[in-house]
Amino acid sequence: MRLLTAVLRTIRNSRRLATGLVILALLVLVALFSPLIVKAVGGGQDPIELAAYDKWQVPGPQHLLGTDQFGRDVFAMVVKALAVSLQIGAIAGVISTVVGVIVAFVAGYKGGWIDNVLSTFTGILLVIPTFPLLIALSAYAKNVSLFQVGVMISIFSWPFAAKTIRSQVLSLRTRPYVDLARVSKARDIEIIVTELLPNLLPFIGVGFASSALGAIFGLVGLEIIGLGPGGVIDLGQIIFNAIGTGALTLGAWPMFVVPIALLTLLFAALNMVNIGLEEVYNPRLRGVAGE
Amino acid sequence: MTAEAPPAVAVDKSQDSAPVSGVRAWLSRHPLAAYAIRRFGLYLIELWGALTIAFFFFRLMPGDPIQTLIQTLQQNYIYNAQASAEIIARYKHEFGLDGNLLTQYLVYMQKLILHGDLGPSLINYPTPAQTVILRSLPWTIGLLGISAVMAWILGVVIGAIAGWRRGKLGSAIATNLSIALSHVPYFFVALILVYVFAYSMGLLPARSAYDSNINPGISFAFIGSVLKYGLLPGLSIVIIGTFSWILSTRMLMIPILGEDYLVYAEAKGLKNSRILTRYALRNCYLPQITAFGISLGFIFNGNVLVEQLFSYPGLGTTLVTAIQQLDFNTILGVTDIAIFSVLTAVLLLDLLLPLLDPRVKYWK
Repeated sequence: MRLLTAVLRTIRNSRRLATGLVILALLVLVALFSPLIVKAVGGGQDPIELAAYDKWQVPGPQHLLGTDQFGRDVFAMVVKALAVSLQIGAIAGVISTVVGVIVAFVAGYKGGWIDNVLSTFTGILLVIPTFPLLIALSAYAKNVSLFQVGVMISIFSWPFAAKTIRSQVLSLRTRPYVDLARVSKARDIEIIVTELLPNLLPFIGVGFASSALGAIFGLVGLEIIGLGPGGVIDLGQIIFNAIGTGALTLGAWPMFVVPIALLTLLFAALNMVNIGLEEVYNPRLRGVAGE
Repeated sequence: MTAEAPPAVAVDKSQDSAPVSGVRAWLSRHPLAAYAIRRFGLYLIELWGALTIAFFFFRLMPGDPIQTLIQTLQQNYIYNAQASAEIIARYKHEFGLDGNLLTQYLVYMQKLILHGDLGPSLINYPTPAQTVILRSLPWTIGLLGISAVMAWILGVVIGAIAGWRRGKLGSAIATNLSIALSHVPYFFVALILVYVFAYSMGLLPARSAYDSNINPGISFAFIGSVLKYGLLPGLSIVIIGTFSWILSTRMLMIPILGEDYLVYAEAKGLKNSRILTRYALRNCYLPQITAFGISLGFIFNGNVLVEQLFSYPGLGTTLVTAIQQLDFNTILGVTDIAIFSVLTAVLLLDLLLPLLDPRVKYWK
């Protein structure tokens, strides 16, 4: 309960954080109700079945965003694809945050050569271009499920979370209350869970938001060169279809403009959460020193 | 610098005066050289680590390049390779796939380091992968290099002004726009630009890097054509890149604004523009130089898709073609080149930094 009020107070204090969370919540709501929306659009039949309607219809009251090359309703497709994109973000975000947190705690808390090795490794993964590795991985792993793609993407997005959190662990480690816990013979794991973790929640939030962002980014990239998971349609794949079928030349703009707009909104919301959280917990960023 | 240089953090001149002999003594007398040597050592370790990760990453992935090669040969030359053990063994040797993983690794690294040899490519067999890659490298360096630097300059300047004039309407618009757009893939902007300028208005070309009717060479017509064809892909990188630099520069700028030396400069009666450029900006563009090096890998990632969309004949397009044909050597080669370029750029920037920033004190 106390945690909840603290969270609410934080959100009230930062308009940026609040805006980001509201947009994010709206997108998640649309995704949650996507089966109902798709049903309502279809009115009895499946609107994203092949040849459900005529091909390449222009946007109108019947089809808000027109239909694609197979006669599928673009609006229904976009709604359903949004759910898939959010799922990937959530899966990869959770996995890379967990891995990032573990690495960050081991490195930051233990220090010494373990920290050196882990930090160098994290640094290398952060600096080198990993997208070639990711596309190569997915080119060989054909017919993978959504979850497996999430795992694959996490391999490359955990360093972002690890780096943010490690620097915070380093600064928290030397705080008096941690020293107090240490002299009172608390075990390492106890100190980490009861003393450090609660204070790091906002930064774990930042880590989650940035790795979710990276994951959706990665999946869109894969889809655009035609290497996404089979059997599901996400927003990137709709864009890929639009390019592949010449929607640009045909003037079927909703097919790529709407997914792009939705993804941009999603990226903006995640970034607002990111920056909002950083501003709340790092007051130096909000105001001006000495004022 | 002039006497007006910001009286920033005082540099601690006192050195550990331990009387040591030989190399250590020399190093302690030449701290900058010591820093450079240590930084170069770290560079070598990073380079080795990254290349090794990449190598094992590709070798441990399933897929049989020899089988693919024989299939490709059959398709292209109707070459009836009833893959006899002998042929397979020969190809395996040629592609560096004989022996166990460790031998393969050692042979690969030896060829790469001593001869710059990446092995034969598949997409263009038997042309070596390095030839294929070197053909496309200038295009990527040209496109990505110019647009990344332009984005950096624009972003740092606009971001500094946005931080300086915080609370003003223009600054708020720039900041919020940057928050919304700084993480959007370049590709999205590229797609919208292509739709508007290439298809709807027909002003600019949407594919390739130059007009195929013009012979490549040093001529005004060719250079003009390269610029014209590079405008849209370059612009898409510049637009998004600028937004992300605006955001981070503003974040660096705001904490500086309350510093005493700025108050002093104001009290001294200096013009605002002078305080901004000589006092405030100098303190926030330096960290951004380091950040520029670190972001290069990320920029390369985004660039792959942009090149692919425009069929730009650079590394990104080569990479995607190689992946579609499961061309191990070329994929690994492109990754290696990208790793090498990014790490080298970071090294050069790090070595440059002590010369630009009098406060940087790497030695101890």
